[in-house]
Amino acid sequence: MSVVGRSFRRKDAVDKVLGRTLFSADIKMHGMLEAKILRSQVPHALVKKIETQTAQDFPGVVAVFTAEDIPASNSHGIIIKDEPVLVKDKIRKIGDPLALVVAETEESASQALEAIKVELELLPAVFDPEIAMKPDSVAIYPNGNILERRKIRKGDVVEAFKQAEFVVENKYCTQMAEHAYIEPEAGIAYVDGENVVVHVSTQNPHFDRKEVARNLSLPLNKVRIIQAPTGGAFGGKLDISVQVLLALAAFKTKRPVRLVYSRKESILASTKRHPFVIYYKTAADQYGRLLGIEATIIADGGAYASYGPATITRAAVHLTGPYEVPNVKIDAYIVYTNNPTAGAMRGFGAPQAAFAYEQQMDLLAERVGMSPFEIRMLNALKNGSVTATDQVLNSGVGISQTLEQAYATAQQIIFPGGLRP
Amino acid sequence: MNKAAINFVLNGQEKALEVDANRRLVDLLRDDLGLTGVKLGCGEGECGACTVIINGQTANSCLVLAAQVDGTEIITIEGLGDHDHLHPLQEAFIEEGAVQCGFCTPGMILSAKALLDHNPNPGKAEIMDSLSGNLCRCTGYTKIVNAVENVIRQSNAKGS
Repeated sequence: MSVVGRSFRRKDAVDKVLGRTLFSADIKMHGMLEAKILRSQVPHALVKKIETQTAQDFPGVVAVFTAEDIPASNSHGIIIKDEPVLVKDKIRKIGDPLALVVAETEESASQALEAIKVELELLPAVFDPEIAMKPDSVAIYPNGNILERRKIRKGDVVEAFKQAEFVVENKYCTQMAEHAYIEPEAGIAYVDGENVVVHVSTQNPHFDRKEVARNLSLPLNKVRIIQAPTGGAFGGKLDISVQVLLALAAFKTKRPVRLVYSRKESILASTKRHPFVIYYKTAADQYGRLLGIEATIIADGGAYASYGPATITRAAVHLTGPYEVPNVKIDAYIVYTNNPTAGAMRGFGAPQAAFAYEQQMDLLAERVGMSPFEIRMLNALKNGSVTATDQVLNSGVGISQTLEQAYATAQQIIFPGGLRP
Repeated sequence: MNKAAINFVLNGQEKALEVDANRRLVDLLRDDLGLTGVKLGCGEGECGACTVIINGQTANSCLVLAAQVDGTEIITIEGLGDHDHLHPLQEAFIEEGAVQCGFCTPGMILSAKALLDHNPNPGKAEIMDSLSGNLCRCTGYTKIVNAVENVIRQSNAKGS
């Protein structure tokens, strides 16, 4: 207990202020090769042929890998293994990886990328999840574009709206957001005896290890992932970036291989915050007390599942906010589109939900003729409240006290003389 | 490739080098001279992670050609302190909790140093303005600005 209640210096801070911390892109190894990824410039297409011979013959090029070279699986994904390490037959987004060039220098690798010829059959693409979820939409996957659905049902919503004195109904749209960690994705891999070692900027080394092992057809104990100092992530380094390709390249060439994304590549290839469309209908009685909520969430998952199914679960269970709602009907969909893949980002669907429910509360307050503070105090969860998913909150519910304290502090700032409006 | 002969002072040491005419300063420092405290975040002068001080002025080393630094004096984070003798800014960044992932930290400290070298007593607005070319995605900047203010306060206390 000697550490509780005391401040300590971060163990890593001294090296960081001195600039001595070695991030993945700072590591150099003897005989190290540099890798570059050829990425799709179109959002939806069938791959007919990838011709790599010209690139292989390029001066300084050691190897060029395509889907054919991946020993097993050629897939990754935290919940659903729907994303290829290298695309074999179908491109689903701009930035999908098609081939990996490994060369003596970064310059050779970049030049050789341009010598790879890809034959494509372009397909129409869909970028709007509301269009993508219709049965007659362009199909990105054989079983349709709706990846998963979450339902919450509580009480009788139809009756709640019948009895309502006030109804507020709106459509809310939130945007895609890039994490923009200052360190772009990077890693270096090498073979150590029978093991392949990947030193990588990541949030998820145990997952990385399993994905490398599965794709390389190696037992887990032959794969070692070392999380390098990671220059920001915010959820964006939970998915696979360079891990599997680097391990493959090191394993096949038996030399250390480094792969560092440019900023453009990082933004192109990495996951984003899910853009949401939320249809939200709130019912309240004459006093402003919430009677019911009926809502539909349509989350744009982009080309691959990533953390999408978990994100809509989180969004759905948060959609009533910190308020007690007796009657609830919520449907949340995660839909594939040809947009960048959406994945984990701080809050995991909860911020998008808050954007909608808090605006609903403000608008409802206006309709009822209450202040935004009063309507929240009236409806806030308390000890003993029951949530939309029927969880009884026996203790520790602090929203009312938090609101009261925030209100008191705000009063002092807005009216320092103690005046109240 | 055309070569250029350059002479400059790097962290107090004289350097005489031949560089490719298209070599960026950031690559010269990181790859050829091993100064990996100079970070590469965007390559287009937006993020400030590659900040160095050239003749007392901050510069994004990704936007400077190595051939352009002939006759200059350059300071990188490696020129500021060591484990036994931290620069007051380095000390303050640690103490204040202004370091999280650490990727923006070297550039941030160098921008703060360049400011204090020119004006030992800047106000908060000037501090924020001087650091506005350095992006940080972890801290929210508050603790970074606090760290710089602490250095100013301490140095004023010593001076008075």
